[in-house]
Amino acid sequence: MKILASYSIKGGVGKTTAAVNLAWLAANEGRRVLLWDLDPQGGATFLLRIRPRVKGGGEALVTGRRELRDAVKASDYEHLDVLPADFSYRNLDLLLDAQKKPTQRLGRLLDDLAEEYDVVVLDCAPSVSLVSESIVRAADLVLAPVLPAPLSVRTLDQLRLFIDATRGPAPELLAFLSMVDRRRRMHRELAAELPMQHSDVSATTVPVASAVEQMGVRRAPIVDWAPSSPAARSFQALWSEVAARWT
Amino acid sequence: MEMPVAIEFVIDDVAGPDHVEVLSEALHARAERSLRERTVWLDTHDWRLFGAGLLLEHQVLAGGSWLVLRGLDGDRIARQAAARATVTADTLQEGAIGHRVRDLIGLRALLPRASVTRPAQVLLVLDGEQKTVARVVLEGPATVKDGTPLGLRARLEPLRGYDKAARRVEKRLAAIPGLSPAESFYGAVFAARGLDPRGYRSKPDLHFDPEQPAGEAFASTFAQLLAILRDNLDGTRRELDSEFLHDFRVTVRRSRALVKLAGDVLDDNVRARYAAELRWLGDRTSLSRDLDVHLLGFDQMAGQLPAPEVLDPFRDQLRREARTAHAALNRALRSPRFADLLEGWERDLTMPRPGPATSLAVADVADRLLSRSWKRVHKRGRAITVDSSPEALHDLRKRCKELRYLLELFSSLYKTKVHRELVRELKRLQDNLGEFQDSEAQRFTVAEHAAELARNRTAAATLMGLGRLEQQLETRQDAARREFADRWERFDRRDNERLYAEMVAAR
Repeated sequence: MKILASYSIKGGVGKTTAAVNLAWLAANEGRRVLLWDLDPQGGATFLLRIRPRVKGGGEALVTGRRELRDAVKASDYEHLDVLPADFSYRNLDLLLDAQKKPTQRLGRLLDDLAEEYDVVVLDCAPSVSLVSESIVRAADLVLAPVLPAPLSVRTLDQLRLFIDATRGPAPELLAFLSMVDRRRRMHRELAAELPMQHSDVSATTVPVASAVEQMGVRRAPIVDWAPSSPAARSFQALWSEVAARWT
Repeated sequence: MEMPVAIEFVIDDVAGPDHVEVLSEALHARAERSLRERTVWLDTHDWRLFGAGLLLEHQVLAGGSWLVLRGLDGDRIARQAAARATVTADTLQEGAIGHRVRDLIGLRALLPRASVTRPAQVLLVLDGEQKTVARVVLEGPATVKDGTPLGLRARLEPLRGYDKAARRVEKRLAAIPGLSPAESFYGAVFAARGLDPRGYRSKPDLHFDPEQPAGEAFASTFAQLLAILRDNLDGTRRELDSEFLHDFRVTVRRSRALVKLAGDVLDDNVRARYAAELRWLGDRTSLSRDLDVHLLGFDQMAGQLPAPEVLDPFRDQLRREARTAHAALNRALRSPRFADLLEGWERDLTMPRPGPATSLAVADVADRLLSRSWKRVHKRGRAITVDSSPEALHDLRKRCKELRYLLELFSSLYKTKVHRELVRELKRLQDNLGEFQDSEAQRFTVAEHAAELARNRTAAATLMGLGRLEQQLETRQDAARREFADRWERFDRRDNERLYAEMVAAR
């Protein structure tokens, strides 16, 4: 079982979109995929039309009172299951803090599902917190969308520092530029330069596109309903990069 | 990814031609478009996957084709994309399915066991968010290849985490007139094709009543042996895998032993005819099987040499000979003599016919035959000394096989525990005799081929390799020969005599 964490320190950068589309692509290849929506806002859960509710809330899951598998819901897609978001996840930091070895807790919980899934995708709330530390510790690969802005290099540095500072074996980092507008020179330049200068930045960029926004209206991954759109192609390329690392 | 188990229904004519509308309305479900689907269930001839609680399905649809591994209750264990062409063990891709399947099937070929084509239409039961909470698949009428057609069916596929919705849909389905609960789809297809995986036998499954007339018991045994022979005939002819010929040959051997040992349960003329005919048939299979055994064990044998590849010319020659031997076997299996043998077997052996001992109780006959066979084994075994020829050991081996067949055929008459213990003791001795004889036969083949290859100016390295091989086989054979005395002593001890007496007395 491989764990992919879609993570960003900053919100609104396309983290949930990446998580949902990559999860769909992995499942479409026949891999058994679980998408855990850890963001109390429940974007991924909403996009897959599932009720954002877990019986007993985050506490039941974190304390082990309720097994993760009992909270899993099938999505409308074969091989893609979802552990829905719950509003109580906003207190996940406190819940984890009350556990022994809090940063290892999420990984331990997922260990129980190792026989049932080939890939777990974690969609994490944007923050630097005990939860994000826990997620980074559990992950094999951190997928990080970065906005094409003058500060993006700094964002990347912070991300690397954060990953390095996390205890345990460090996951791989795969950053990519998100919401790229090809009409803007700076976006084009950053898209060309960053992958050349940093080995952990993908050459694939995800464009800013109305189709991506449409996902919220259609409530389905763009790779499903517009597979040949530029954004869907970007996600396919990103997933291929991830899958290539895992074969 | 545990999948909840599907629930099946059959739909009879009452539901009428508008069944899709009727069901969609009753379930408030949305109908997706209808697709044609072909499903082929793959398994070995002896149902190894089924025996391990697995079903391997090759699903071919307009949108793609898949290989699906399921449990017998229908829950899906794994699925992977597959080519549309027929799947065999050789074309099975690496991965979770391939790994597991190959492990289970061993030497056997993966064969299409049943194939069904039908239209399938999915009904989606949605909640307020337009999220699917249950799927109902309407399928049929279905065409079963080489079987009877199947009518319309509905399958409720519950989705993980939506158990309540599934229960609701199940209740609604059950309340629709014309729908009634049904067995699994694969079960219906297998039945329509006349397949019964649980009924598969590679050897007779006999349960005698001790008082049953011996003629009847023998006839039912011959009937089962004939059925097993026929069951392996096509696979032997087509060389689907080497186990067909193996099972075919063992069945001939069992039948031969039974004819030979049947004594006055069979009429003398019948006995003489089938002793000769079965011997003829057995002899036709020998060369082909010997070469199969040689080739199957080739890698392991050659692996003991520092450069196994020097033996490639030898392997090529064995392969050529195997092809020729198989062609000769097929000629025999297509011959009128073989057809007559099968026809006569059915006529003369599978129905009780008047004979001097046919009305005796089978248990008494079994006691008598076993006692004679038991004595024969001991007489031969005790006569063997360090100076005895390999033929003497070979002869003992054949007598041991006869005893073993009798013990197996009459096992239902004796107490299981003592019987099993005795078979175990006998098996220990047989293993040693088998090792001795196999090494002898292989050594002979190697020597014979070495001589022939030498005449054909084969590379010196190959000839030297064959020399080493022969030497290894000789060492193996010598070791088996040295061990024989101990094995025999163990088999011949008083404990086993007591065990035998106890087995007969306790009946």
